[in-house]
Amino acid sequence: MKKKLSTDEMVKRLLASDRRSAARLITLVENEMDDHHKVMSLVYPHTGKAMILGITGAGGAGKSTLTDHLIGKFREQGNKVGVVVVDPSSPFSGGAFLGDRIRLQSHSQDDGVYIRSMASRGYLGGLSRATYDVIRIMEAMGNEVVIVETLGAGQDEVDVIHIAHTCLVLVTPGMGDDIQAMKAGIMEIADIIVLNKADLDGADRSLRHLQGALTAGSFEEGEWMPRVVSTVSAASKPEDLQGIDELAATIAEHQAYLRKTRAIDQVKYNRVEQELGLIFKDELQKIIFKGLKGTGKKREYIESIIEQQDDPYSVVKEVLNTYLLTGE
Amino acid sequence: MGEANEKAAQNTQEGNWDDYIKAYYEKPASFKSWSGYDLKEIYKPGDRPEENYEQNIADAGTYPYTRGIHSNMFRGRLWTKREVVGIGSPADTHERLKYLSQHGGSGLNTIADVTYEMGLDADHPWAVDEVGLTGVNITSIKDMETLTKDIPLDRVSWSLITASTASSVTMAQYVAVAQNAGYDVGILRGSIQNDPIHFRYCGFGPACPLDLSIKLGSDVMEYCTKNLPKWYYTTVNMYDLREQGITAPQEVGYGFGIAMCYIDELIRRGLDIDEFAPRFTFYVSCHVDIFEEVAKIRAARRMWARLMKEKYGAKNPKSMQFRFAVHTSGCSLVPQQPFNNMTRIAYQALAAVLGGVQSLHCCSYDEPMCLPTEKAHLQALRTQQILAYETGVTNVADPLGGSYYVESLTDKIEEEAFKVMKEVEDVGGMEEAIRTEWLDRQFESEAVQRQKELDNGGKLVVGVNVFTTEQEKTTPLGVQKISSKSAKQQVEAVRTLKQSRDTDRLNDAIKRLRDDTNDSKNVIPAMIEATRASGTTGELLGTVREVFGYPYDPMETIKSPFNF
Amino acid sequence: MATKKKIKVLVTKVGLDGHDRGAKVVSSLLKEAGMEVIYLGMFQRPEGIVKAAIDEDVDVIGLSYLSGEHLIFTPKIVEEMKKNSVDDVLLLAGGTFPAEDIPTMEEMGIDKVFRAGSLTASIVDYIKTNVEE
Repeated sequence: MKKKLSTDEMVKRLLASDRRSAARLITLVENEMDDHHKVMSLVYPHTGKAMILGITGAGGAGKSTLTDHLIGKFREQGNKVGVVVVDPSSPFSGGAFLGDRIRLQSHSQDDGVYIRSMASRGYLGGLSRATYDVIRIMEAMGNEVVIVETLGAGQDEVDVIHIAHTCLVLVTPGMGDDIQAMKAGIMEIADIIVLNKADLDGADRSLRHLQGALTAGSFEEGEWMPRVVSTVSAASKPEDLQGIDELAATIAEHQAYLRKTRAIDQVKYNRVEQELGLIFKDELQKIIFKGLKGTGKKREYIESIIEQQDDPYSVVKEVLNTYLLTGE
Repeated sequence: MGEANEKAAQNTQEGNWDDYIKAYYEKPASFKSWSGYDLKEIYKPGDRPEENYEQNIADAGTYPYTRGIHSNMFRGRLWTKREVVGIGSPADTHERLKYLSQHGGSGLNTIADVTYEMGLDADHPWAVDEVGLTGVNITSIKDMETLTKDIPLDRVSWSLITASTASSVTMAQYVAVAQNAGYDVGILRGSIQNDPIHFRYCGFGPACPLDLSIKLGSDVMEYCTKNLPKWYYTTVNMYDLREQGITAPQEVGYGFGIAMCYIDELIRRGLDIDEFAPRFTFYVSCHVDIFEEVAKIRAARRMWARLMKEKYGAKNPKSMQFRFAVHTSGCSLVPQQPFNNMTRIAYQALAAVLGGVQSLHCCSYDEPMCLPTEKAHLQALRTQQILAYETGVTNVADPLGGSYYVESLTDKIEEEAFKVMKEVEDVGGMEEAIRTEWLDRQFESEAVQRQKELDNGGKLVVGVNVFTTEQEKTTPLGVQKISSKSAKQQVEAVRTLKQSRDTDRLNDAIKRLRDDTNDSKNVIPAMIEATRASGTTGELLGTVREVFGYPYDPMETIKSPFNF
Repeated sequence: MATKKKIKVLVTKVGLDGHDRGAKVVSSLLKEAGMEVIYLGMFQRPEGIVKAAIDEDVDVIGLSYLSGEHLIFTPKIVEEMKKNSVDDVLLLAGGTFPAEDIPTMEEMGIDKVFRAGSLTASIVDYIKTNVEE
C-alpha cells in the first residue's frame, strides 16, 4: 500500500537529504526489491566521503548508550550523522525486536541525525552486503559520519565491521575469561578497545589484561597500535559519565593516522575487495539456483551424493559448467 | 427429506442443541491454580507432611500469625472500606471524597495522577495535557488545602497514594496543612504509599532512581516513626508488581525483597527494628483464584512474622504482624461484557476478606475503560458492604484455616515464595536485581506468558477467549469524563501562585532543603518548611534531585528557577 | 528476485503514562509472528514518534494508551503525520478505552482500536491483511 515515487525521483530527493526518500530506498535495498541494483548504481558516485565508524561488542555492553554520546560529539563538530543499528532476527519466526532506538533518544528532535534499525535476518548474500548498501545510502544522503552498530556475535557481524574505517570493540569488566578468549579476535578487528562500565568491580583487572595483551602483540614501526579507553556510557547522573571525550579524541587520532599514513587507502581497498567477493558469491549462487529451479535436478544431485554415486566436488563442478556457461 | 423433517432439523439447528449437550458433559479445561500449580482431586490429612499447629499455624493473633493478626479479626473491627479517589482537580477529588463518605465509605483514599507522581508541577510543559487524568495533582500547599477542606484531620484516617519519590513531598504537604490548621501532627492517622523503589516498574523510572528512592522513601519512614506515631509510613506495593503479570509467590517474594531494602536502610540509620516495624504495611493484589489468593495471604503472614523475628530480631509482636490492604486485580478486568467485572471483583474481594484484610479497595467494573464514574464507584463500595453486612464472612477468623487444601496450598506458596527470594539472593540481592534489570526481565517474560495463556486458551476469561459476543457500543453506566476546564484552572492557579509568593522566604526554605540534603539529614522537616513557604512539588523534588546529581526536572525539559 | 518484504511496526507510548507492559508484550508477540518491531518505549512526543516512523519506514504505528490520554494525543499525532505527509502507515491503538470513544478515535484517524482483552491473533491478522496490498 506504500505509494510509489520513481526510483530516479527518490534518488534525486535522497541526494537533497530527504529523509523519507532515504528511508524508502533503504527499505528497497534491505528487501532486495526490484530496483536494488539500479539504486546502488545511481547512489555510488555520491559515496566515499563519509567517515565510517564501527561499534561492536556483546549484548548489554552498552553500545547504544555509547553511540548516543558519540553522536552528540560528532554533532558538536558540525557533522551530520547516520546510524545503522543491527540487531538479531529470531531464527524461529524471522521477526525481530529492535529496541536500541530507545537509548538513542537524545537526538530524536535533531534533523541532523538519521537512525535506522535493521534486523540481521537470514540474508542470502550475508548481512554485510545489505549493510554496505544501507551505509552508502546514508553517505549519499549527506551524512559526514556513519556509525554502524552490531552485536559482535558471529562471522557475519565481523564482516560488517570490516567496512568501518575505525572500529570500536566494546568489552565490559566481568567478561573475565571471555576477554581472554576474545583477545585474538579483538586484536584483529579493533582499532580502539572500549572498556565500558568501567565503574564496575574488576575494571582495573580487565584494563591490565587488555593492555597486557596489546603490548604483547607485534606491531610494525608506524603501525597503529590499538588503544584501550575506559568509559562509563550509561549513568542516570551526568556527572557519573566517563571517558566520552577521551574516546572521541582517540577516534579523531585514529582518523588522522589513517589520513597521514595513507592507511585509509588500504582500508578502502580491502573493503572493495571484500565487497566484490560477497557480491560475486551471492550473484553466482542466484544464477545457479535460478538455473536449477524447477528442473528437479537439485534433488537428483543430492541423492546421488548420498548414495555415493557422486561426490560433492564433482557435482559442483558439473553444475558450474552447466549453469555458469548457459546461465545469464 | 420431507418438508416436516427439514423444518425439524432447522429448528434443532436454531436451538443449537449440540452445544447444550456438550455443555452438559463439560469438564474444567485445567486443574492448575492461577499461578500454574498442579492440584490434586482432593486433599486429605496426609497431604501436609507434619501438622504442627502451634508452631506453623497457631490461632489468629498468635505468632506466626498465619491465621490473622488479631485474635477475633472482624469481630473487633471490620476492614476499612476505602475506595481510591483521584480525579481532575483537587476540588473535583474533594467532591468525590465527600460523596463516598456520605454513602458509607470508612476511610479516605486519594491517589496522585501521573504528573504528581513524576514530581511535576501542574504548569510543567509535560504536565499541562495530563493533569488530573488519572488522579489528583497537588502542586502546592494550596492544592492540599483544597483537597482536605473541612475534613477533620485529627479524626479521619487518610490514605495518601503517592508512591514515587514525590511521596516525600506529599507527606510534607499533608503535615504542613495540618500544622497550619492548628492540629498536633502526632495525632494524624492514615498511611502513605511511599514505595518509590517499586514505582520504577510502573513507568516512573525518571522520578525514581534507586539511590534517591531509598533515601527519600526512608526519610519519610524515619520522620513518621519519630513524629507521627499513628501513621503507616509505607505500603510496600506488591499489588503493582503482581499486575506486571507475575505469579502469587513472585508477588510475595519480590515484595518482601523490596521491603527489606527499606528496612536495611532504616537499621543502617540506627533505628531499632521494633521502633519502626510496627507501622510497616503492604498493598496486596487479590486475583480471581480465590483459594490461591487466600493461601498467598496466609503464607505471607507466616513468612513476614518469621522474617521479622528470625532475621531482624524483632521482639515486639506488632513488628511481626503482616498488615495489608488489598486492591482487587485491575488487570483481571476486561472491557468485553463489562458487567462481568462486578462478579470478578466480588470474588476477589471475598478472597481478601477470607484472607483477613485490614483495608480494601474494590475496583469499579469500569476500570478497564475509564476512571470510575460516580455510579460505578458506589457500586464497588456496595460490593464491600454486601460482603461485610450480608454474607456472614465476618463472623469467624480465618474461616478456611484447617482446610486440607488451603493449608497445603499455603505451604506450597510459602515454599515457592522462598525459592523466589533465594533467586533474588543469588543474583546479588534486590538492589542488584533492580540495577542489572534482572527483575525487569522476570516481569517481561511472565507478562508474555500470561498473554500466551489467553491466546492459546490455557487460561479462560469469559468474553475474551470463551463465550465471546459482539463488542458493546456503549458503557453501561456511562463514562467518566475528566473536565479539562478544572485542570486548566489548576494550571492557571499554579502560575498565579508562582508570581505571588514571598520569594525571600521561599529562597531561604529551598536553601535549607538543599543544605539538609547535602548534609545527609532527613529532608522532611525542610520540605515541610518549604511547602509552607509555597514551594511546589517540582521545586522541592528538583532541589533534592540536583544534590544527588540528577537533572532538576525528571523529564529534562525545564531548569531550576533557583540560581543561588 | 524480490524477497517478501518484512512488516515493520513501530510500538510506542506518548506522554507521561507509564503502563508499558502491554506495549512490550504486544511487541514481543508481533516479533514472534515474524514482524520487525521498533520499540520506542515511553515518554514520546508526537513529533518524535512521526520522525521515527519516517526514518524507519514502518508500515504500522501502534500506540498504547492506558490513562485516558487517547483523546488528547491522537489528534496531535495524526496532525503531525499529515504535516509530514505520512499517509500510508496504518495507525493502531491499544489499551483501555470506553466503547464510546472508539468511533471518535476512528474519526480522528486511528485505523483500528484494540481494547484490553484482545487476542494476539486478532492484531496480527489485522496487520497482515491491511499491510500486504
